[in-house]
Amino acid sequence: MTDEIINEKKPEVNKEKRKINWEAFHDKHYIKLMFIPIVILILALIYLAVFYFANGDIMHKDITLTGGTILTVNVNEKIDTNKMTSFLESKLAGKDVSIRTMKNIYSGNQIAISIESNADSDLIKKAVEEYGIKLEEGKYSIEVTGSTLSKSFGKELLIAVAIAFIFMAIVIFILFRVPIPSLAVIFAAFTDIIVTLAVIDLLGVKLGTAGIAAFLMLIGYSVDTDIMLTSRALKGKDSGLKLNTRLFSAIKTGFMMTWTSIAVTLIGYFVLVSPVLKQVFLILSIGLFVDLIATWLGNLSIIKWYCKKKKIN
Amino acid sequence: MWLYLAVLLLAIISIAPWGYVNKGVEISSIDQNLSQETGLSQGDIIKYVNGDEIKNLEDYSNVINKIFSSEGEKRIEVKTTTKEFVFLSTSIPEIVVKDIEKTKIRTGLELKGGARALVKPEKELTDQEMINLLDLTRQRLNAYGLKDVQIKEASDLSGNKYMLVEIAGATPSDLESLIAQQGKFEAKIGNETAFIGGNKDITSVCKGDARCEGIRECNEITEGYSCRFEFGITLSGDAAKKHASITSNLSESIENPGYLDQKLDLYLDDILVDSLLVSIDLKGKEATDIAISGPGYGVDEQEAYDNAQDNMRKLQSILITGSLPVKLEIEKIDSVSPILGKEFTRNILIAALIALLVVGLSIFIRYRKLKLTLAIICMMLSEMIILLGILALFKSNIDLAGIAGIIASIGTGIDDQIIMVDSAESHKQYSVKERIKRAFFIIFGAYLTVLVAMLPLFTAGAGLLRGFALTTIIGMTVGVLITRPAFGDIISKITKD
Repeated sequence: MTDEIINEKKPEVNKEKRKINWEAFHDKHYIKLMFIPIVILILALIYLAVFYFANGDIMHKDITLTGGTILTVNVNEKIDTNKMTSFLESKLAGKDVSIRTMKNIYSGNQIAISIESNADSDLIKKAVEEYGIKLEEGKYSIEVTGSTLSKSFGKELLIAVAIAFIFMAIVIFILFRVPIPSLAVIFAAFTDIIVTLAVIDLLGVKLGTAGIAAFLMLIGYSVDTDIMLTSRALKGKDSGLKLNTRLFSAIKTGFMMTWTSIAVTLIGYFVLVSPVLKQVFLILSIGLFVDLIATWLGNLSIIKWYCKKKKIN
Repeated sequence: MWLYLAVLLLAIISIAPWGYVNKGVEISSIDQNLSQETGLSQGDIIKYVNGDEIKNLEDYSNVINKIFSSEGEKRIEVKTTTKEFVFLSTSIPEIVVKDIEKTKIRTGLELKGGARALVKPEKELTDQEMINLLDLTRQRLNAYGLKDVQIKEASDLSGNKYMLVEIAGATPSDLESLIAQQGKFEAKIGNETAFIGGNKDITSVCKGDARCEGIRECNEITEGYSCRFEFGITLSGDAAKKHASITSNLSESIENPGYLDQKLDLYLDDILVDSLLVSIDLKGKEATDIAISGPGYGVDEQEAYDNAQDNMRKLQSILITGSLPVKLEIEKIDSVSPILGKEFTRNILIAALIALLVVGLSIFIRYRKLKLTLAIICMMLSEMIILLGILALFKSNIDLAGIAGIIASIGTGIDDQIIMVDSAESHKQYSVKERIKRAFFIIFGAYLTVLVAMLPLFTAGAGLLRGFALTTIIGMTVGVLITRPAFGDIISKITKD
């Protein structure tokens, strides 16, 4: 067994034992581990189905996908958002109003508030001015999306994600030319997207156009660890290294890759003030965590099983 | 390796960060007549005015205000980077200047401030009609005084055609009507049309000349204030003849002695803007100089004045360019305040810096090699520089989505480098080159999947996320073709040591 630990230059006895135990543990239980992502995926699919029947859609959509106005204005004093929301709701009878605040990350002061509503943009402006916030030309931002456009927009972006996924799957098949390992990669990417979407829904996040683009980025981030793993497992056999050694070195590399990515996306989420970018980084952070499970419990187990069966040791 | 260094150098040249050392102000727009008279043109960099050095915008306005602090004709000497110009002027010359761009990197709407509108024609247009529409819209916006405007056609997956208008910098609040108003202008006397907007009937419109345009009077009315604007236009011979033949049949008004009994009604898109009394002297005369007027309202006098001014400029622009060929519907209009944009840019730079530090630290902790850590950080930075250089070269705007794209490509860049380092450190029975070659299979595979995943975004949703797709693709291509091979050379050297 000792010759399997090639990466360790001077293995201490203690460390060596732990390592062996790990591999033995994995050898014994990897098939069971595979079921963790499968169960999570099934739970996510059930949740999404329930969500769909409850809300008529698979996600909460924000104004950019349903039509309406987002008005962002710089503020110098603290605004009581609850008070303002109920004021605006009474002025814009029957329309939805929600207010988000943007804070300076150092001082924690409000720097701007963002009002979202499906009411007419001129009425919103009027109501906001009546609340006592002056809208001076060039000192506020406004985003108005028509409802027909936003609907087709949402549909098109979902189609884009679907097409991207199919393209990705084709490329994976061309790369590896063997069905089961390719399907394992595609399965991991699919799990990643579905579970992330379920978590986002669970958190009550309203997705916008940029959020959907984040799912596209996720496809890219998700598959690169899978490709690395699969190619180490399948193409590394002539290196003379044992399967477990190759897989465990892939785990080491993969964790480092995903860790640096998660570090960047978490920093993005916590440091950035732009709500659009914040959402992108939230989705990527969740997606990368899900990817750890999908790749290292799901894909790893499948590829290990495949290699053992095909005697690619 | 040499390719990498050459590309890096070219990228820096393309970004051209000379703005940090150069001083002066750039002419962002100049009145056409003044340009012909003086020889100054848009894009010229002003270095000196009347011998005073101009370092920035503030210097320029100080010097100009000093010159025109007293009445009378002034001699102005302007020295640009290439030439010297001298001209005389009685009023502050109509030159709009801005600080020189620090670099050639173009920041998009969300970062610089500005507006973007996605407009859908009510009926399907032929290619020629679309070109006409884009042309007219550009002319109209330019006539209004908006110079930094980009107008292009966009389409989506379902084949709908749109017009995409992007305006940089501060934008007028009534941009919607300026873009989407069809602008069918008609001047009617009774039921007969005397003349319409556009250069067939109207040969010139007075604009920017206080002698023939301005806000003439402001009055208090029941609900606030009302101001009236007035500006002169010149009719073509044919329009003047028509005007004459209509008025020749009219007689003097009983209620308003000295005027004709029918008013000149001005309609914009079939809505009455103003009714003008026509002097009895003009009866049957081929008058070519006509004054057009209209109102502006507000809660106080200032607001009414500003609104009248806005309405005047809008009407002038519409009269100069005529009406659009179709009715338009604004599907999406975003306008971002430049102040908020500045805040975003600063915030993004800080986040990038923290991310760089954390990634660098993680890599150092994992590999415990300073040289390697520095090499990876250098590669990340140079990849970003090359990407920005390419974007600057193609004059593509970097918006929020584009920044997400940059981060995506840098992120995969780090991933790839980790794969390469790990491959180089293991499988010692092969040469370093062979190991890196194996790493390239993975890198290239990952690259291809992202590339194809980004393709649908080029047309989906009228291409509004194209910037994101484009930066991601360019960034990753640069990585795979240029920086990754260079990094391979670097690790070969480091691992040999």
